Amino acid sequence: MNTNNRVYDAILLNPIDNVITSIRSLKKDQVINIKVKEKIIKIRLIDDIPICHKISINEIKTGENIKKYGEVIGIAFNFINKGSHVHIHNVKSLRS
Amino acid sequence: MKEKFLGFERLDGTVGIRNHLLVMSITGLTGPIARKISLNLPGSLLIDNPYGSGILGVDRLRQDRAMIGFGNNPNIGAVLIISGDPPKTEAIKKGINKTGKIVETITLEDCNHDSISMFEKGIRLGAKLMLEISRKRRSLHHVSNLFVGLECGRSDPSSGMVANPIMGLIADYLIDLGGSAVIGETTEWLGAEHLLVKRAKNNQVKEEILNAVNFQKNLAISNNVNLLGNNPGYTNIEAGLSTIEEKSLGNITKSGTKVIQSVIDWGEKPTIDGMHLMHAPAYAPESLSGFSAAGCQLIFFSTGVGNSFNNHISPSIKISANPKTCKKLHEQLDFKCSQVFEGKKTLYHASDELWEIFIDICSGTRTWGEILSESTEVFSRIGRSL
Repeated sequence: MNTNNRVYDAILLNPIDNVITSIRSLKKDQVINIKVKEKIIKIRLIDDIPICHKISINEIKTGENIKKYGEVIGIAFNFINKGSHVHIHNVKSLRS
Repeated sequence: MKEKFLGFERLDGTVGIRNHLLVMSITGLTGPIARKISLNLPGSLLIDNPYGSGILGVDRLRQDRAMIGFGNNPNIGAVLIISGDPPKTEAIKKGINKTGKIVETITLEDCNHDSISMFEKGIRLGAKLMLEISRKRRSLHHVSNLFVGLECGRSDPSSGMVANPIMGLIADYLIDLGGSAVIGETTEWLGAEHLLVKRAKNNQVKEEILNAVNFQKNLAISNNVNLLGNNPGYTNIEAGLSTIEEKSLGNITKSGTKVIQSVIDWGEKPTIDGMHLMHAPAYAPESLSGFSAAGCQLIFFSTGVGNSFNNHISPSIKISANPKTCKKLHEQLDFKCSQVFEGKKTLYHASDELWEIFIDICSGTRTWGEILSESTEVFSRIGRSL
């Protein structure tokens, strides 16, 4: 890959996931590219996203599972809009 | 890919990647004297057990097993035991002697309870042992002789997504070649235990995995600990990990994909080759000492935001995939793989590179942790003392 060509900004680990992970610090209103099954799709961010943090790639309803690695990492305790920062303010563990 | 390294063959057939004199104080009263002895024998390693005769039951069993395990670790060439308890000294000496390793002992009783006399005797005896082990030469050995610990500390999402999966590839490859590996940190199996159970060798191992996870979960509940803020801890959360499930799913990727042969206790040596789980605390010093007591010659240690702590007996290869961390911590990270996180390199390419570094470090190249001496050993405890 050409290192000067910023092909994507975040990683989708599994096609069934509803969150992606940023590979750099990203800003609100920025339109980011992610690779899904070899296709590049665009998402407009509605929050600032620090590096390594999670972003929703679609709307997630309250009580819905958050999926990363193709596995459940917790549930949403607020409605989460597409392009939001997904972290402890809207996700909780099912195990702790 | 290289399959051989230059190591120190021991009398019991195990192979060390280092050849240290271990100065081990096995009673709390003698710790300060042992520290002075070790300081005056540069290159020796100090282990200082702060406890003594009040240690009971399972704690006693685990501590005795760990002291024997530290002494028997293949990276140790000889052991100088410093002690205030002659019967215990004999028992630990006997345990270490079983492998044919040279063990010398000094008790306070041998020195008329005079610490200065103990210090002098310790230097003389330790110096003699250091000369003796320095005669040992490295020779070529196959990687099947290696048992590695797999640790993560101060993790972030890049640990679980990149650094740990690279360690998993290394573990798979090592096990295919006849070697062994272990992961610990039981709390960080919570939320990923269904994936570990699928790899259990048999129903017994499956039960042991589930029991260990339940034990840890109940330990948190019975102490009114909400895992959020504890595990994931403050640093993990700030770095982007939101729940224990997320952390665990990233954690277990470092165990690779091979069959899980057994669940072992803290500091317990596995009886067969392959991949093992150690049911043990997650915090790095306790976790790492469990690995070196079990006989690991080397530790792969991933970090997200940085973690300067290393194991004393088993050199730790520090790995990070976080681009910011890789830019900052030049004298801490032995292997940087942020290019994988940024999509500029594959996991496979990086694991091949790490394998080369692994073989080099096994053959004598030093880790940053060794050079900077950012290391120690600690003892895990369960109950109260008498």
